[in-house]
Amino acid sequence: MAIQIAAMILAGGKGTRLGALTRKLAKPAVSYGGKYRIIDFPLSNCANSGITHVGVLTQYESSALNSYIGNGKNWGLNGVNCLTSVLSPKQTEEGSSWYRGTADAIYQNLDWLDELDPEYVLILSGDHIYATTYEEMLRVHVKNKADCTVAVREVPLAEASRFGICETDERGFIIDFKEKPKQPKGTLASMGIYIFTYKTLKKYLKADALKEKTEHDFGKDIIPAMIARQKRLVAYRYGGYWKDVGTISSLHEANMDLLLSGDPAMNLYTLQEDCHIYSEDNHCTPQYIGPSAEVKDCLVNQGAVIRGKIDHCVVSSEVIVEEGAECYNVVLMNGCHVRSGAKVYDCLVGPGETIRKDEVVNGSREGIALYALGRTAK
Amino acid sequence: MRKVTAIVNFHCEPNIAPITNSRPLGSTSFLGRYAFCDFALSNLCNSGVTQVGLLVKDHLRSIMKHLGSMDSWVINTKIGHQRLMFNEPAQKDPRLNSDVNNLLFNDWLLYDSDSQYLLFTPSYLVASIDFRPYLNDHLDHQRQITILASTQRNLKTYWHGSRVLDFDENGQLVGASVNEGQFLGQHAVSLDTFIINRPTLIDILRRYAPTYPDADLFTLIMLAIREKTYAMAVRYFDGYVGCVDSFAHYAQLSFDMLDRRKADQLFHPDWPIYTLTHDTPPAMYGENSSVSNSYISNGAKIEGKVINSIIARNVTIAKGAIVKNSIIFSTVKVNEGAVIENAVIDKYSIIERGHGIKGKPKEPMYVAQGAIL
Repeated sequence: MAIQIAAMILAGGKGTRLGALTRKLAKPAVSYGGKYRIIDFPLSNCANSGITHVGVLTQYESSALNSYIGNGKNWGLNGVNCLTSVLSPKQTEEGSSWYRGTADAIYQNLDWLDELDPEYVLILSGDHIYATTYEEMLRVHVKNKADCTVAVREVPLAEASRFGICETDERGFIIDFKEKPKQPKGTLASMGIYIFTYKTLKKYLKADALKEKTEHDFGKDIIPAMIARQKRLVAYRYGGYWKDVGTISSLHEANMDLLLSGDPAMNLYTLQEDCHIYSEDNHCTPQYIGPSAEVKDCLVNQGAVIRGKIDHCVVSSEVIVEEGAECYNVVLMNGCHVRSGAKVYDCLVGPGETIRKDEVVNGSREGIALYALGRTAK
Repeated sequence: MRKVTAIVNFHCEPNIAPITNSRPLGSTSFLGRYAFCDFALSNLCNSGVTQVGLLVKDHLRSIMKHLGSMDSWVINTKIGHQRLMFNEPAQKDPRLNSDVNNLLFNDWLLYDSDSQYLLFTPSYLVASIDFRPYLNDHLDHQRQITILASTQRNLKTYWHGSRVLDFDENGQLVGASVNEGQFLGQHAVSLDTFIINRPTLIDILRRYAPTYPDADLFTLIMLAIREKTYAMAVRYFDGYVGCVDSFAHYAQLSFDMLDRRKADQLFHPDWPIYTLTHDTPPAMYGENSSVSNSYISNGAKIEGKVINSIIARNVTIAKGAIVKNSIIFSTVKVNEGAVIENAVIDKYSIIERGHGIKGKPKEPMYVAQGAIL
């Protein structure tokens, strides 16, 4: 049975700038918001969009991510006529190779897509945080009979050189696209979310695979090649909350956006019902707040035991904050333990870390620190 | 453990009205996160028992809502099975709605099961019990019946309605009496949990059920052991068992769990209690919230003050509201400035701005499901 749309989530990246957090974990699997992993967001978005066929392309430290995704049950993507496949690099008749770029990752899985025979393919990144549905973007793509629709947003000019920058004509068609330009001409940035008409995509991926001078990248190779051939590329403007959490401080900031004092556009309690975020649920006891605890402006997951003071914090399950310990503006990941008398400021504390008795972390409060592998790193 | 079929018995629950007017105790909320039957189902799952029948008395909707496809409590979703056993004819005549009649109506268990041993455990039991040592002990001694009991004191106040085991001078079990507060000192209280061989159960049902149509299964077994000698024994569970024999004791047990030393007796890190999960976000606390000595569930949004309380899923406690010594069930809204003290607020209720609800300590006030006050 041919399907209308299949989603491919690129989840193979390491996320080098997240330091020790991604030492043994792919970036999309990094803990976020007390309960979630980053990849819950694109996966939930797919589920909420009524997308039934999802391929997750994994590569770096894939084991943990692969078992987390499983058959897609956590996101309801295991129902009748649903398919969630983890697609890691494999050995084939032609030999074997790692995914050499975003486009190559899809190219190496054309068989999987051919089997589904989708009319359109949605390409997503596994490490972006945003809650939306893709229905409107698909509608725009179909209405314009586009070959490719790129989700775009306005960014400050100073940051534009970090993104793929589009230039559009008055109808919204893309006439120029430069990946990470040194001298950006505009501020309309690609979000790394694309809908392709599958037939066209396949043709360009095959051509790209044969090229010698290519990085097998959507932004650098595939989209410019399509523009050069005057294909119909549409820019789809997205104005909602969207974060690409590349660094410790941006991951910290994205966590704090979830607080009641944070970004109202990303309040998990007010997101519309059709943007519900699903995740793995654990079997912890309910969270316990002790007799002398102080909990202010926080997000706390089940299984946490808070006996100390936490202010402006995001707390995962099985975290223990002992009496007399204090945390300010801190993300406490799964299973960390803050012993009595410890004071932690402006910090991301990695999973399973113990902050020793009376230890002061980032007392100077200069920037956001990462506490991992038993010590503080800036 | 494929030789064992477990039966979670919802028939022998204490009635803790008013909470259980519209639901069985087995699917009643506990600590804001669990239903009581989670303990029985998790004990079975953790003990490796894969075949489970649920002997359901009434309020099927409430049970099904919590259990769903039951895959939250199974090890392997192919091996083993969970079956709902419901006595349809008894719905028209409540006098017939007993565990014995339910078993006879759902007699596949007696004739069509390949399990030689049946393990009965009640839906209300609050305990973390590993059944494996008791099952092995039953097998090793080639018994027909093994009854699980717990030694309890203070039967004057607690364990009303439970059966206290009677022994003769040789320590032989001779029967049981219902506790109505008449017992002094310490006694063996039946946990309504027993292992019985299938042929023995079939025999007891055939011989006694027609003569005693109103009796429950435990009573039939007690009648049988008086008349015939069985290879049987009483075994003691010496871990923590929570007593839920009345509404007041339900509240007391809940508040007892705020003492983490007591909670640690019930919840062990290597004995998880599984429950239905809801994809609710972590609990959210506002800048002016103040919470102490409380359990807070995911999906709760707290901007007011919470003291010595248990707050379930999707509850909102607005700015300036105070909740003290209370249990708030899921999806309750406590609006600005409302004050709740010594109360149990059932699901979907709305406590309007500035409203006060005050019960007595040890006698909490109950606010029914869906109330708007």
